[in-house]
Amino acid sequence: MRTERLLIGAGKALAVIAILFWSLFPILFIAMSSLKPGQDIFAVPPKWLFAPTFKHYAELWRSWGVFFDGLLNSLLITVGATLLAIVASACAGYVYSRNSGRWLGASLLGLIIIRLIPPIVVTLPLFPIVNALGLSDTHLALILLYATFFVSLGTVLMRTFMDQIPRELDEAASIDGASRMTILRKVILPLAMPGVLAVAVFVIVFSWNEFLFAFIFTATKAKTAPLVISEMIGSIDGVDWGILFAAATVQLVPVLVFVVFMNRYLVAGLTAGSTKG
Amino acid sequence: MQLQRTARILPLLAPVHLLILSVIVLPSLYVVWLSLNTSSFGQAPSFVGLQNYWRVLTDPAFHSALLNTVVLVVVAVHLELAVGLGMALLFASGLPFRRFLLVAVLAPYAVSEVTAVVMWRFLFDPDAGPITLALRAFGLPTLDWSFEPSHAMGLIGLLTIWLHLPFTFVIVYAARLAIPGELYEAARIDGATRWQAFRRVTLPLLGPAMLIALLFRYIFAFRLFSEAWLLTKGGPARSTEVVAIYLYQEAFSFNAFGPAAATAWIMVLASLLLAGAYVLLLRRGGISHAH
Repeated sequence: MRTERLLIGAGKALAVIAILFWSLFPILFIAMSSLKPGQDIFAVPPKWLFAPTFKHYAELWRSWGVFFDGLLNSLLITVGATLLAIVASACAGYVYSRNSGRWLGASLLGLIIIRLIPPIVVTLPLFPIVNALGLSDTHLALILLYATFFVSLGTVLMRTFMDQIPRELDEAASIDGASRMTILRKVILPLAMPGVLAVAVFVIVFSWNEFLFAFIFTATKAKTAPLVISEMIGSIDGVDWGILFAAATVQLVPVLVFVVFMNRYLVAGLTAGSTKG
Repeated sequence: MQLQRTARILPLLAPVHLLILSVIVLPSLYVVWLSLNTSSFGQAPSFVGLQNYWRVLTDPAFHSALLNTVVLVVVAVHLELAVGLGMALLFASGLPFRRFLLVAVLAPYAVSEVTAVVMWRFLFDPDAGPITLALRAFGLPTLDWSFEPSHAMGLIGLLTIWLHLPFTFVIVYAARLAIPGELYEAARIDGATRWQAFRRVTLPLLGPAMLIALLFRYIFAFRLFSEAWLLTKGGPARSTEVVAIYLYQEAFSFNAFGPAAATAWIMVLASLLLAGAYVLLLRRGGISHAH
């Protein structure tokens, strides 16, 4: 009996180590390698102890200024898309939460299904349209695209979270003479904050990391950080892996820290977003 | 009364529906029209019926892309579900530092496809990658992904599992946590072994959630683009193309908008088919979670 318990314990410990290794090793390894002096990156066997240096970061700053423009673009686009997606989803989610009817039910179902259309499909017709509207290579084009691909999930999530807020609160505020927008802003939204944060996590992670749309719809002015990194990979023969690791680390750390702090909302959003509708 | 209500709620619904209509619905319908015409940049379209579909469906490059995609979806997604299920059961069996472990498992969710490609490309670098070196040190076969197409597909599969395991794990784990403990107690009192409890209690109750996770992952793996593009660009010689890369090449490298649009609409139909199954599952009400 005791040996069995011991064996189970050992098995679990091994499994946990394997999980940690799988999830964290790639991340830690490039972050660590970004601090290695040049020749140590390719040392065989890999060096675990070395004198850390910020040489690659300095080099990144000197020779890839466009990467930092990319970071700024990513930031602007992420903020824009997040605000737009949250405002639009909150308004629609409120309607779906407080009203019912055949048309509303059908349109909500439509939202859920449309969310599952592959984004690459719309690049085809949108490419000439975006050009014709003069939106090619602008922040606005990516903001609209990113927000749109999350408003359906956002609406479903907001509705799920708002359903848990008692309707009596709306009624009380309404008797006090508050308008619908005021009720949404002052009563519902503060109580639906976990929902807002869940939507925010999705949109922020997606917009900060997205590649395909940025690849197709930007060229120079609105180029995002992931796109610049992909160009670094593209010139792999000439590129210094150290610089690439530094860029990848800079791109990753903010969003990783964000996800770590918001993990509760991410979990709530993932489960509610796929099992409710 | 009805009209009044409509007037009241329309402004609130408008932003979401206008965005979706103008960015997704109308362009998708326009794709149908494109797919029935032959056109390219700066060239007047002319109607050709289903010819584009015929061209795509008889194109060997499309067959190879479709086969790659289907194999990738089938192998990677089911492997991912099996691992996710194992991890969910491990977590549910009680672990120390569970919150920390949960956050660690979620970490890859934050990683962009581009950064993930940087990581895995280096880990599996044929000359200096630490995993390649470790495999070689143990006398194990290494992934020769830059020359051998099947190895490249394997690496793409690993990469996509790594990026999406957090999603699958969370869905299954949440469903596992929603199973009341009394059920296991009852099973124990009835003399069920661990295996029987798993077969008769856990699996049936996790079924709907696992099906949902599977459908979502089918849909998302079927549209996979960035990982494959950034790793191999579909090469060598189009051997590692997936359907989304085939579409991209047709449209943006060969300027063949008709066949690209036909490919796009084939992708939409496949996604809608899976989405229909998903909605049916939701509406049957088989899924409920304790929150």
